[in-house]
Amino acid sequence: MKFNIPRLIAIPVVIATVVVSPALAVTVTMTDAHVARIKENCPVALATLGRIHASDAPQYINSNQIYYSTGDKLMARLNSRLTLNQFDASSLVKTASDYVATLDKFRKVYKIYDDTMSELVRMDCQRTPVTFYDRVAVAREQRGEVREAVIEIQALISKYRSQVEKFRVDNLTETDDE
Amino acid sequence: MNDVDLVSPEVRIPWYKQRLLVLVVGSIVLALVLVMVAMALYASSGSAQLDISRPGYKSVQDQVQPSTFESFPASGEVDSDTIDEFLELYDRETMRVDSEGVFETSALEDEALGIDAP
Repeated sequence: MKFNIPRLIAIPVVIATVVVSPALAVTVTMTDAHVARIKENCPVALATLGRIHASDAPQYINSNQIYYSTGDKLMARLNSRLTLNQFDASSLVKTASDYVATLDKFRKVYKIYDDTMSELVRMDCQRTPVTFYDRVAVAREQRGEVREAVIEIQALISKYRSQVEKFRVDNLTETDDE
Repeated sequence: MNDVDLVSPEVRIPWYKQRLLVLVVGSIVLALVLVMVAMALYASSGSAQLDISRPGYKSVQDQVQPSTFESFPASGEVDSDTIDEFLELYDRETMRVDSEGVFETSALEDEALGIDAP
């Protein structure tokens, strides 16, 4: 069995870089002045985080409610009705299925983000400013994932609508003319 | 026969054999276990994220909209008018969700929180 020596060396180096670099990115560049600034502005930052956390909750509840109802009370029902009338609704069913999966992802990533924010607002940032700073970066990244899920859901809502219009053109225009 | 003979001798039962004590302690332990299971389910199922009655959320309770979502009938014939009705309902209901700028990461930027490097 032949070993590719450069590859054997390169793989662990790449893995180590990927694993270690995010942690270093924050901690290495943090100066004493920066730490002092975090400590100084810590109460204001905590208050802002508390407000963001509180205002996220109704936003999530309202969005989740409408997203769920869109799938359950509109998409699923139209798909069912089309199938009952012997139409081929496979593309609509596929989009509705993707939609449900994305909604599930939205709930999961929001829960992770919400847990991080709950932990963050209770953190003693005067005593552990570096950890606090790192956790803010994590929360920001998780919030980005929630945002991405919202964009995906919106895209699927638009896609479903376009497919319904296409369905009408493909299946109902001739029927109505007759 | 005198009165002394009628009194049964006092029998000392060890604490772990006392039924009442076992019942009380057992009930408390069972209640604690059930509460812990319920709390674990509450936290892991995502119900906590939908619970606006938690401490700290009182100020935003009025921002939660009541559910008035209209359903599309799952049975009936399908023609162009059906699709028109569906699309009208679909647009009306999906437009209610405001996704513009929600969960933007800019709110958590270092500068916004005042924790950026000087």
